[in-house]
Amino acid sequence: MKTITPYLLRFALAATVLTIVFRYFLSYVIENQSGIIITFSAATYGLLMFASGWHFGRKDGEYLPIFDVGFRFHLSTYLIHNGLSLLWIGLGFGSKYENLNVSIMVAIYWGIFLLLHFIFFLWARKNSVDNLDKEDLFE
Amino acid sequence: MKNDKKLNELLHSWENTYKKGQLTLWIFMALQESKKYVDDIKDFIEKQSNGTISCEEQSLYRALRKYEHIDVLTHDLKDGNKGPDRKYYYLTNLGQELFNQFVNRNIKLFYSTEIKNILKLNEQ
Repeated sequence: MKTITPYLLRFALAATVLTIVFRYFLSYVIENQSGIIITFSAATYGLLMFASGWHFGRKDGEYLPIFDVGFRFHLSTYLIHNGLSLLWIGLGFGSKYENLNVSIMVAIYWGIFLLLHFIFFLWARKNSVDNLDKEDLFE
Repeated sequence: MKNDKKLNELLHSWENTYKKGQLTLWIFMALQESKKYVDDIKDFIEKQSNGTISCEEQSLYRALRKYEHIDVLTHDLKDGNKGPDRKYYYLTNLGQELFNQFVNRNIKLFYSTEIKNILKLNEQ
């Protein structure tokens, strides 16, 4: 069953690039203690991630309307953001003021929301056949 | 004159509703005949429906992707005239069984003597 679609891969690529750029700026501005730029870069990152998710999600639905209530995109975002953040700090690229424990806590708290989303996804699957919405299968 | 206009509007409105959900049946009928690639399917549908069913290529591709995803269709790759290989679609066993059962339950009922008589009356 095909669930890794071309548009999901494009989103994953965009999210990877955005996260690396964000991590670089975040560590740089934390090192230089620039509070306004920290807020600005976090807001810009959030907006760009949302915009790319919106864009590729819409394209993905047109390509193959997988009925997953956004779970695949959420899971990709979670893995990319938290994976790269943990690697970034774990490999010593972060600022001296950054703490690996904070990134671990973010991953844990976010993971709880991801788990709730997964439960919602399992519930929604009852209305699907091979992950496609039963009501939107035939044209 | 006014009635003609109204009749026309009602006919178009009814036909628009009627045609929704017909694409699957026409795709399956096209593939019942033989393996086809997208342009062949489109030509078959437009020709056999006397142009009453028009399908945009994007809708057709989207439908074919969905039907492949649920394993009622599959394809073979064959050489195109120029350019990349063409996907020749055909029904899987599941697709064939689905088509047979759909036709038995929804199409064959139009061929009962009673319904045929009614339709003939309506034609007069």
